[in-house]
Order: sequence, then structure tokens, then C-alpha cells
Amino acid sequence: MATPVRTDETARTTAPSPPFSTTVHVGFRVNDEDVELDLDPRESLLDVLRERLELTGTKKGCDHGHCGACTVHVDGRRVVSCLTPAVQAQGTAVTTIEGVAGPGGELHPVQQAFVDHDALQCGYCTPGQVMSGIACIDEGHAGDDAQAREYLSGNLCRCGAYPGIVAAVRAVADRSEG
Amino acid sequence: MSTETAPPSTVRVDARDKVTGTLRYGTDRVPPGMLHAALAVATVAKGRLVHLDTEAAAALPGVHLVLTHADADELTSGGFLLGGGYGFQSFQPLTGDRIAYRGQPIALVVADTLHVATEAAALVRAEYESEPGAFTLDAPGAEALVQSEAIPLPMFADVVAGDADGVLAEAATRPGAVVIDAVYDHPAQHQNPMELIGTVAEWRSAGDGGADILTVHEGTQNAGAVQHGVATQLGIDADRVEVISPSVGGGFGQKNSLQPQTALVAIAARRVGRPVKLVVPRTQVFHDSSFRPATRQHIRLAADGTGRMLAAVHEVDQQTSRHDLFPGTHTEITSRLYGIPNYRGLQRLVRTDVQTPGYMRAPYEHSAAFAFESAVDELAVALGQDPVELRLANDTDTDPVSGEPFSSRHLAECLRRGAERFGWARRTPEPGSMRADDGSRVGWGVAVGCYPGMAAPTAARVCAEPSGAVRVEVGAHEMGQGLRTAMVRTVAADLGIPAGDVTPAVGDTRALPHHLTAGSWGTAGALPAIALALAELRTALKVPEQGPVDVAAAVAATGRDSVEVEAVYTAPGQPPQVLDRLRAGLPAPGGPEHPGFVTFSWVAHFVEVRIEPTIHRIRVPRVVSVADCGRVASPTTAGSQLRGGVVWGISAALRESSEVDPRFGGFLNASLEEYPIAVNADIGEIDVDFIDTPDPMLNSLGVKGLGEVSMVGVAGAVANAVHHATGRRFRRLPIHLEDVL
Ligand code: FES
Ligand code: FES
Repeated sequence: MATPVRTDETARTTAPSPPFSTTVHVGFRVNDEDVELDLDPRESLLDVLRERLELTGTKKGCDHGHCGACTVHVDGRRVVSCLTPAVQAQGTAVTTIEGVAGPGGELHPVQQAFVDHDALQCGYCTPGQVMSGIACIDEGHAGDDAQAREYLSGNLCRCGAYPGIVAAVRAVADRSEG
Repeated sequence: MSTETAPPSTVRVDARDKVTGTLRYGTDRVPPGMLHAALAVATVAKGRLVHLDTEAAAALPGVHLVLTHADADELTSGGFLLGGGYGFQSFQPLTGDRIAYRGQPIALVVADTLHVATEAAALVRAEYESEPGAFTLDAPGAEALVQSEAIPLPMFADVVAGDADGVLAEAATRPGAVVIDAVYDHPAQHQNPMELIGTVAEWRSAGDGGADILTVHEGTQNAGAVQHGVATQLGIDADRVEVISPSVGGGFGQKNSLQPQTALVAIAARRVGRPVKLVVPRTQVFHDSSFRPATRQHIRLAADGTGRMLAAVHEVDQQTSRHDLFPGTHTEITSRLYGIPNYRGLQRLVRTDVQTPGYMRAPYEHSAAFAFESAVDELAVALGQDPVELRLANDTDTDPVSGEPFSSRHLAECLRRGAERFGWARRTPEPGSMRADDGSRVGWGVAVGCYPGMAAPTAARVCAEPSGAVRVEVGAHEMGQGLRTAMVRTVAADLGIPAGDVTPAVGDTRALPHHLTAGSWGTAGALPAIALALAELRTALKVPEQGPVDVAAAVAATGRDSVEVEAVYTAPGQPPQVLDRLRAGLPAPGGPEHPGFVTFSWVAHFVEVRIEPTIHRIRVPRVVSVADCGRVASPTTAGSQLRGGVVWGISAALRESSEVDPRFGGFLNASLEEYPIAVNADIGEIDVDFIDTPDPMLNSLGVKGLGEVSMVGVAGAVANAVHHATGRRFRRLPIHLEDVL
């Protein structure tokens, strides 16, 4: 017989924290449209995009900055939107996967290259990979396969589509150089 | 041989939707008025919940509900998938005070926003009476059972052929004979598809005066089990539950059954009268769903002096939970890799205090092939033989277990073609004899794998429109394996119409009964089902049995608005009762032993490792893999699937291990930061090829499974390559750089 051990497993605080009634008014641009919202300051840009703006192309794979599924561009730079407080987007221009194709629906060259190289399987990591791929080329970090692999390693793909992803990004990088 | 002309290798039909982010996954759903849920979970691994204080949580502004316990008339267990039920385990949280594993949900909080729900869940206070548990295979209190006695079913009986023990004993004393005797350890691992487990539950009035309808949006490989399982759990009719899961963000076995949160979210949604979404956080996923159980595998393998394998014994200890027996079938493949006349397998199950483990890509075959193919490499070294030649010399056309023929086995061709592509002839056999220019130690390793050729009852519907468009629906799931693409190609090729005229649909229980999609039988069941439906369609359209069809004209000629037909495929020799199981959401796969033949998919992997000179990092710059999966239904997606399996094998061999706390239970590295999976920089060149010869017996299209076999043997090839580079044998995965210093 095991001796029962009485354990008191208490949550972080014994008293309830003060109710969080404070909201913050935030304005920014998303895919060339102005957005104004009253936000709980704890809300991540990812949750605001997905749950409030219904831009669900951006994915949540970890919520901790480990997987890259939530990658978007803020003022042209790639960020993991799960670690970006939405209030921090104040005054910025955010681009999500929904905003990279052309006005007539023509795919961005990196999107097209992902299709051509079958750089995806389940597709769940794909929006983040595409956003990272575009930025990686802009940064000049897709000069050769090894460099591209290194600079795309913040974006996990559990389906293992890495060879196609590198091929797609490199193909566009080579073309934009040439 | 199939003679029909397939359209040229087309792109994946849903690729555009994936690169534009428009494809919808389960929890992408945001219905109006939706609330958000979060789980509070147990912080002890075993014992009893004696008090739960939810006052602070409930008092938080924005909280609508704190669900801590559901009465039996509101919630029961959905049963265990392998025990006649639907769930990955029989144990259903929130139905009692028992704590069976660390991380077990003890409360579900529903609030206006995710942040309030998460904060409130952290305010739930619990008191436990904690008991010591057993968390590893060797822990005191871990109870070992002989599987064939604990689960007396033919499919889980031990594999035996000839007299392995007698021959092994004799070989041990015979001059010139070689006996390998080694133990291989494989850790627990987690599937970690990128899409988190989650549920959006919505109720609506049926408008017929009857009970309300529950709609579940959830990424699952088994919409039928979710539908029937939740109905069972809530005590409602299954036709009051709709499960919508058109796209799964990776399954890998994790999403093959009913998850514990689905019914909880459904109950919460019913109580608050609004839709509720729960996305289980990554850290909680490590405890809220299944995982690949830890195993220890003891292999004895005897060969005569020429390298002819005489006998093998493969004994497996596999972890299970206290509340369920998750069976193992590792010996199913190791008894078939070679023509070994004397073979004895033994599967034991070891009860530990965890959630019930389950399926993860190549659930048994991966670790079994790591162990067995390492032993075969040890045998080659002991005999001084080339590991490819040794394997070729022990090939067989006949299943040594049943004596029946293999319906197709092109393993020798996989080995020969792979060796050629890889340049195996340039390998120098001496371990440590190959060096790269930068001083890296280079190792080349080979291993083979196989996976049972199963098929499951599958329902298909084909609808021809007056425009000439054709809609094809299948009761199966798309989780990235390319099912939709294979469906479209099959219809387009059969009718001789452009792929763009074919619209595929999967993952919706409103359309058809859905069978579990796993075990690589998704495509191998869906395509024959479509073939049957197409034959029906040709009859209904009054067009010849073969050849191109002018669909628009044929539909017009019938005078109907559209022509729709349905068909159900069953595996060879399956009795009609399997259709009842299909309609009840229960698994009913058949194989690999079919009437008169035995089917497996086969693969050979060749791996180069380089161990860097200064920090001894183990790199895998290139792999060559050649698979025999019958006819290749969709070359583009098949290539990706094979490469993906190789990535999984590399990841399993060099990265992945779910670390167990031997004192307090639970998994310690429960995040994607501390549970590393292969990243882009870990993967080099992966060259894949297919035999692409139709299997003549399994089904009319000649297709066999690919998703799982693609991973089988990769880890063995990596370990064998590490041995070739270093002269050191690693019998425990993963192999880390500190091992090869
Ligand atoms: S969800 Fe943001 S990095 Fe994973
Ligand atoms: S395509 Fe599935 S995770 Fe990358």
C-alpha cells in the first residue's frame, strides 16, 4: 500500500489577481487595410489576427516562438507573431500570408515556387515558411543552399518538406539575383 | 500490368490553397459568439483529487464556466480504440477523482478570450493525495505482462516459425556459425504534428423537434470515431453529431482516435449555449494525447559461416498505461524482412503510470527495424561480409511465417538500385576508414524496412455534373499524404478528363461514413473505392467500361440533373460485417495476411553520416531511398512522402526523445524547444526512387501503402553509418554528439 502523501498543489497566486479591465486602443495596417481594435494588452498579434480579424492563414504551432508557423512581416521584417504583443503593432504595417499574392490573385514568386517544388505536405507550416522564405531572400540570406537552410531553420516542418522548401526559396533567390 | 495512361505528374491539387493560407483546418473556425477554453491539469502523476477550488477562477471577469466534473449521465468514457471503443485511451478526465497521469485535465475553463481562460485555469487550485508511481520500464511497480496472454486475440499472438531457440543453441556451438545477441533501447517519442490538437464545438437546433445537432470542427484522422465516440460519451444518437475535418495539419498517428477534450468542449458549449474553441497548448499536448511508447528489444540472430540466416528471436518490452493495454506488433515485420526459417517473437507489455501510449508514424516498425537492422549490420561485420550482399543473399519470395507468397516483394531491386544511386561500391568496409576533406569521419550505412500492406473498408461517392465536372468524395482524411491529389488523378485518368474538372472532398461525416485513415491504408483504400464507384458511374452513364468519357454529353443523355453513385471497398476476403464496423466508426483494416497471399511495402535506405572533426556534430549530408509501394499513384506527392519519412527517421535517430521524470512522472521536455525535431539545417540531400511496379493482388490499381514504410529502417541505416564512421555501436536512440566524442 502506498502511503498517501498530502500535497497542496497551489497555483501561482493564492489571491485572485486584480480583474483585468484595462484595454488598450491600437491601430495598425494589415495587408494594406487599416485596423483599429480595443485589446487586452496580453493578446498576441497571432491571436488578434486569427481570432479577431479571422485571418486564419497564420498558424499557431506552439505559441512560444519555437516553430515559426505564425511568421508574419511587420514593416517588412519577419517576426513570430505569437511572441509579438499586438499592442506593439501600433502604427506598423503587418503583412500576413493573405496579403502576399497580387491583386488579381497571382501568386507571389515564392508561393509559386512552393507549388512548383511541392515544398509542402499537410500545409500547416506553409504560410509561415512562405513568409520566412520571402524575408530570407530579401535579407540576402538565401545565397546558397547551406545558408538558406540555416536561415529557414526557425520554421519547423513536421512533414519534413525541407528539401522542397530550400529548393523553392533558392530558385526564387537565384532568379532575383540574376 | 496496368495499361491506362495516367495524366502527367501534376502538382498537388491543394497546393495553391496551402501556399495562400486559404485552406481551413479544424480550429481555424471562428463562429460568431464563440468563447475560448483552457485546461487546468494535474500536477501529480498518480493519486486522488481530494479538493478542487475554483472560486478564484470563476470570479475572474469574463469567465463563463469552470467545468470540473461531469456526471455519468452527461459524460462517459468513449472506450479504447483497441478495446472496441473510440478513444486513444479508455480513461476520460473529469469523470472521477482519480489521477492516472501527470498533466491529466482536471478542469476546463470557458471565457470571453483565450487570455482570460488561460489566467483562470491557472487559478484553479487542487489538492491531491499523491501515490508513488512507476514511470519507466525498469521502475519498481511497473508490471510486465505477456501480451499473448493478456490479449488473447490471434492478431496479437506471438509470431513463431520453426524452432528458433533450438537452432540458436545449436549454432552457438557450431564452428563457423555466428550468433548476434544484443539489446536495443528506444525512448518514448511524441508525434508533434505542427497542428495542435483542438476542437471547436457548436450546437444548433435540428429544427425537427429532436435533439440538437453538435458540429465538431477538429483536425482528426478518424472523423468516424470522433462522431460515434462523442455521441457515445454524451449519450446522443450519432446522427446528431457532425464532424468536419477536411484538412489535417499533420496526424502521424496522434489524431487517429477520439481525444479526451472533444466531449469536454462539447459539454461546455452546450452549457454556455455558445460555440467554444479549445486549442490544447503544445506543453499540454505531451500529456493530453498518445505517444510512441518506450521499448527495449532483445535480438538474437544466428547465421552460418556463409551468411545464411538460420534463426532469430526478437523479444520486445513495450510500455503501456495502467488503464489500457496498447499492444505491440514489432515482430510482424522482423519475421518477414528475410527468409529466416526459424523465428520466435515475444511481445511483452509493461504497465506504467502514463496516459495510454499509441500510434506514431511506423509505430512498431520504426523501432523494430532499428533494432533488427542494427543486428544484421553487426552480423555483417562479424562475418566480414558486405551488408548489402548479406541482405541480398537472405531475400525470399515466400513469407517465412505463413508459407504464403508475398503478393509483391521488390526489396532486392530496392537494394540494388539504391546501392547504384548511392555509389555503395566505393565504400571501404573498415570502420573509420573514410574521411572527408575537412577531416570529418564519414560513415555509410544501409538498412531495409517493410510495412504491412493493409486495406480498410472505404466509402466513395462520385457525382457527374452536366457541365462535365466530376465531384469525388471519400470517407477518408487528408493529412498531407496527398490523398486529394491521388483521388483527382485517379478520376481524371479513368474518365480521360482534365484534372481541373475533378473536385475532391474528404473529412466530412455529413457526406459518408469515415474510416480511420492510418497505417498507410488511406490511399490504398480510397483509390480502389473510387475505382468501384467509377465502374458504377460508367454503368449509370451507359458508357463503355473503359476509355475516355464525354461526361457532359453522357449526363445530358441520361436526362438527369446529375448522376451520382456510391461504392464501398473492402480489403480482399473481408466479411461483410466490416461494413457495420465502418458505419459505427470502428476500425476494420484487413491484412497483411490476405487470402492466399501476404502483402508488405518494402524500402531500402542508404545513409551517409559525417562526424565533424572539432565538435563531433553528426550530420547527414545525403540519403538514397528506394521504395516498393506498388504502383505510384501520384509521383509528386509520393516523392514528398518518402522524403518526409526519411526526415522522420533522421530526426528519430539523432534528435527525438521524450524525457521521463523517473521520480515524479510526466514528460519533462514538453515543448518544441526542449523536444527537438529535425530542422531544415539538419537535412541534406534526399534522393528517392520507386520501383513503381503494381502489386498484382492487393487491389485493382496495384497500389500499396507508402507513408509509414518510408520511415522504416532509416534510423537503423543512420546507426549503421555511425558505426561505420566510428567503429562504435550504438544500441540506444537518439545518438547524440556526446556519444561519438
Ligand atoms: S506559434 Fe509562434 S513560433 Fe510557434
Ligand atoms: S507541411 Fe506539414 S508541417 Fe510542414
